Amino acid sequence: MITGAGRGLGLAMARALVAQGCRVALNDKSESQLAAALTELGDCAVSAAADLSSVEGPALCVDQALAGLGHLDIVVNNAAINIENDIARTTDALWDMHLAINLRAPHLVVARATAALRQSRGVVLNVASELGLHAIPNNVAYVSAKHGLIALTRALAIELAQHGIRVNVLCPGTMDTDLMQECAAASGNPKEYYAVFNEYHPLGRIASPEEVANFAITLVSPLTAFMTGSSIAFDGGSTAGRVWRAV
Amino acid sequence: MSAMPKRILVTGSTRGIGRATAEYLASQGADIILHGRHREDVDAAVARLEAAPALVSGIAADLSSRADIAHLAETAGEIDVLINCAGIYEEQTLEGLDAQSWARTMDVNLTAPWLLTRLMLDGLRRRRGLIINVASDAGLLGIAGGGTYCASKGALIGLTKALAIELAPDVRAVCICPGPVATDMMTQSVAAARDHEAALNQWTNYAPLGRIAAPREIASLIAYAASADAAFATGSVWLMDGGLTAGKRI
Repeated sequence: MITGAGRGLGLAMARALVAQGCRVALNDKSESQLAAALTELGDCAVSAAADLSSVEGPALCVDQALAGLGHLDIVVNNAAINIENDIARTTDALWDMHLAINLRAPHLVVARATAALRQSRGVVLNVASELGLHAIPNNVAYVSAKHGLIALTRALAIELAQHGIRVNVLCPGTMDTDLMQECAAASGNPKEYYAVFNEYHPLGRIASPEEVANFAITLVSPLTAFMTGSSIAFDGGSTAGRVWRAV
Repeated sequence: MSAMPKRILVTGSTRGIGRATAEYLASQGADIILHGRHREDVDAAVARLEAAPALVSGIAADLSSRADIAHLAETAGEIDVLINCAGIYEEQTLEGLDAQSWARTMDVNLTAPWLLTRLMLDGLRRRRGLIINVASDAGLLGIAGGGTYCASKGALIGLTKALAIELAPDVRAVCICPGPVATDMMTQSVAAARDHEAALNQWTNYAPLGRIAAPREIASLIAYAASADAAFATGSVWLMDGGLTAGKRI
C-alpha cells in the first residue's frame, strides 16, 4: 500500500514495485491522478482512496487496501503536504493540516495495519525528507512534522520489532517531480528556480523520482532485512555539511 | 555565569524540571512568570518563591486549549525568554490506540510551544529574545509504547531548528533533551508498574551513568542556555541524558 501515489515519488514507487511483481493499493487525495495511476497499472493496482487528513481516513485507507489485496506485506507512508509560510503566516489550520497528514496519518495507518503486518512479518517505509534532519527558513510546520515522523519511526520500530515488523524512514532531497515543475513555472523564472535547488545539493543536481523510488524499494526488500528504526538520507549530500565555494 | 535576562516565562513550572528551572532562575535574579494547569498549584509555586530576589507571578492555563494559550501569552506580556517545559506522557501502545491521547500529547508538547512562540514573537523580536524548548531523549530514540510522546518530542526538536533558522539573528532557539530525571512523571511511571522496585531499578540503569538526574541538574543547563554566555547557540540540541543516546553497553 502506498499513500500519495497519484504522482511524484509515490507513483514512481508504485511503478517500481509493480515491475518487481507486486500488486499495489494506491491512495491519493486527487481523484483524477489516482484514477490515472490505477488505469496505468491495470490489474496490478487497487484503490485505497481515503482522506488522510481526517482521523478516520487512514484506517479506511488500510481497510480498502486489505479488501483489494487480501493481505499486506509493505506499507509506504508517502503522502504529505508542504505549504511554505513564515511563522506569522502559519495559521492554526495550516499547522494542524501538516501534523494531520504528515505525522498523524502515518501513525494511524501503521496502527490499523499492525495486525496484517504481523501476519506477513511485513515492512513499513515512512517517507520524511531531508527537512526531517535539518531546517530551512519559512517552513516551520513541515520541518516540525517531518522531524516528528523520524522519531515516530524509531518508536514504531522498537514497538513492532517483537512481531518481526520493520519500520524505516527515507529522507530524500529535492526531486524533479510534477510539483517541482509547477513551482518552477510559478516562480516566473524556472531556470533560476532549478539552479537554486541544484546548487542547494552538494552533488549539484536534484534527484529524479525514479532514482529515489529504486532506492526506496531496496528499503522494503529482503536486502535490508536487518534494518529497522533507521533514517536514511538520500539527498545529494544536503544534510552532510556545507560546501564552501571559492569567492 | 553572566547576568540572567530580565523576564522569563517557564511553562509547566509548578513541578519537575520546570519548577527547578524557575526556582534556580529566580535565585539568579530573573523575573519569573510561572505557569501550571491548576490555579492552586500555581499559587503554591508563587508562594514558594516569596523570598526570591525577583518579581514572581503565576498564570494558570490548560495548554491543550488554544484559548488558554492565548490567555497565557497575553497575560504574560513581553518577555526575554520563553521556556517551553510543560509536557505530558501517556503510555499508548498501537493496539490500545486512543485518538484523544494523541491529540492531547501533540497539543501540549508541540502545538503549545509553537503557538506561544507565534503569539509572543513581536516582543521576543524587540528584546532579541530566546526560546528554550525542553524535549527529551525520546525525541531521538524510540520507546516501545511511547510512539505518541516520541513523535511529539521529535517534532519539537524540528520546531526548534526551524525557528532558529527562520528567526535568526533576532531571536534564538535552543532545545534541551534530558534523559531520565526524578520528576513526578517518573514517579507516576514507577507507581504504575507491577514491581515498583524493578521499575525504579530499570530507570536507574537506563542511562550509562547508572543514575537518575535531579531536576536541578537540568535546570542548570537551561539557565546556562538562557545566559549571555550561550549567546552564539541557536538551533542547537543539547543532550543531558547520562549517555543514554550515545549508545548501549553490551
